[in-house]
Amino acid sequence: MTAAARGRVGDDIARTGVAAVLIVAAIFLLVPLLVTILMAFDSRSYLGPLPPPGFSLRWFVACFSRQTLAVGLRTSLALGILATAISTSAGTAAAIALERGTFPGRTILSALFLSPLIVPPVVIGFALLLALSQAGILNGFVRLLCGHVVITLPYTIRAVSASLAGRDASLTEAALGLGASERQALWTITVPLARTGIMIGAIFAFAVSFDDVSVASFLTDPTTYTLPVALLSAMRANFDLTIAAAAVLLMVATVILIFILDRAVGFDRLVGQGMFRT
Amino acid sequence: MANSLAFRAVTKRFGSVVAVNNVSFDIASGETVALLGPSGCGKTTILRVIAGFETPDAGSLQIGGVEMAGRRPYERNVGLLFQHYALFPHMTVAQNVGYGLRYRGLPRSEIGPRVSEMLELVKLPGHGGRYPNQLSGGQQQRIALARALATQPSILLLDEPLSALDVKLRQELRAELKDVLATVGSTAIVVTHDHEEAMSLGHRVFVMNQGRIAQSGTPDDIYVRPTSRFVADFMGHANWFTGRRTGPSEYATDCGRILNVVPCTQPSAEQCDLCLRPESIDLLPATIEAGPNRLFGHVADVILTGASRQLIVTLEDGRSILVLQQNRTQLPWTPGQGVVLGFPPEACVLVPRDSS
Repeated sequence: MTAAARGRVGDDIARTGVAAVLIVAAIFLLVPLLVTILMAFDSRSYLGPLPPPGFSLRWFVACFSRQTLAVGLRTSLALGILATAISTSAGTAAAIALERGTFPGRTILSALFLSPLIVPPVVIGFALLLALSQAGILNGFVRLLCGHVVITLPYTIRAVSASLAGRDASLTEAALGLGASERQALWTITVPLARTGIMIGAIFAFAVSFDDVSVASFLTDPTTYTLPVALLSAMRANFDLTIAAAAVLLMVATVILIFILDRAVGFDRLVGQGMFRT
Repeated sequence: MANSLAFRAVTKRFGSVVAVNNVSFDIASGETVALLGPSGCGKTTILRVIAGFETPDAGSLQIGGVEMAGRRPYERNVGLLFQHYALFPHMTVAQNVGYGLRYRGLPRSEIGPRVSEMLELVKLPGHGGRYPNQLSGGQQQRIALARALATQPSILLLDEPLSALDVKLRQELRAELKDVLATVGSTAIVVTHDHEEAMSLGHRVFVMNQGRIAQSGTPDDIYVRPTSRFVADFMGHANWFTGRRTGPSEYATDCGRILNVVPCTQPSAEQCDLCLRPESIDLLPATIEAGPNRLFGHVADVILTGASRQLIVTLEDGRSILVLQQNRTQLPWTPGQGVVLGFPPEACVLVPRDSS
């Protein structure tokens, strides 16, 4: 066998291997979701083996009638919207400043803003709990809001930075040369150019806030808790398929959201540029 | 004519690097000056100081007789053309060209007609509704020019205006740019590293080196009478001889040749270098007899470049001389052939020897 032929065989094996890994990964991602969907419609009152003998909507009814889940959903939505608003405004401002600034300590500041991506959420949650208690902030919602602004900020900063990278400086100078003040240049040039990044950042911020368990579980109080926290405690209290029904509802909401986003921004841009382009 | 721009002893440092070193010059109204130099010579910094993006460490700057110290970019009436045009991607061509007019206090009703007028000027009428990414490179360049001129700036600054275009388009647009500048009568500074661009666009050329103006003058002046080896080399290919002046119109090269030069007093030192441009050398048949300013050698290589051809001639002592010829004579010079190089005394330019 020649060297070239050996090379070809090697390539073929590698390609088959990559395809196999992709298929296995897809199965791992999808099968649990499919099982959850199937179980949510189970007509049995206990957790039995697959497949379910009959289908019903009883778990969805249970889900809607359970008080804690409704409270959690309300809190999560309010928290998500408010945290997203704050994080998007602050993140946009920070990204613009970091992108154009040449001030001392710029890299350190940038690293600091992005550190919640690296610091374990458990640490953030615990640290915030201590700090906010010391500061006398005991209101559960305010505490959750602080926590969620901290953990969503890296996403909004990254998304806006990515949309500004490399294009802002000379455009702003062009605007200044044409007689626009710095404030006018910011609103007519920089912000419109960052619009996609701002939208993408906001979406990620909402998703992160809505999804968070670890930080929120430190900061909740008996009357203020988020949906993921409510689901978690519901599962601990009595493990039934209400949670599966709630999960299916969340999946439907996510699919609708993704569909809208795809129409509005384009899914490729959302995933491909928002976070991973530097 | 009134001075449009006065640059007085300006120095600008970036850390320990002196980007602009005590530079002074005046530009008359309606004049186009080309700042020419290698990258890092400080030419772009001068532009940015005039535009107000950089504050000089020392010196002063006046535009139209008004001191510019402390004025922000938008408080000066300066038009800018960027190397990569910096067109606003989210605005149409008309919005781009009209952008400055909003902030220069033009009534809304006059913006539309003025934009059309500018598009007419750059020969792109009817392109107002397009977006920059729907335009070719040459069209973007022209829109950027229209945008810069729309506000009737007292001085127009062009940073490498044609360098992002391919060669053929560059020559076309160079002529157009020259026309537009003449039509508008704008005072302009063109920053470039291309000596052809500098010579064809500038009424005057400032050759810069290491933060200073090495030589300034008309394009012809600078090309024909460089005052330093740096300028001579930067303006085009030069053949060099080292030696010394032995009489008012006589130069002895280090290898013992005597060349006739035009009587001159500069440079004053006896030791100096002699520059011989490749296009000012005639090729004579090898049968010709010896005489003043005749060098014997043989053709080492012939390089055809289209309109001209370059011949590399090796002299008897082994040194190579580049000769540039119009590609028009039918005489086929071939490698190995004997040849005599002849040139008039006027072709020899003496410059001071670099101390470095």
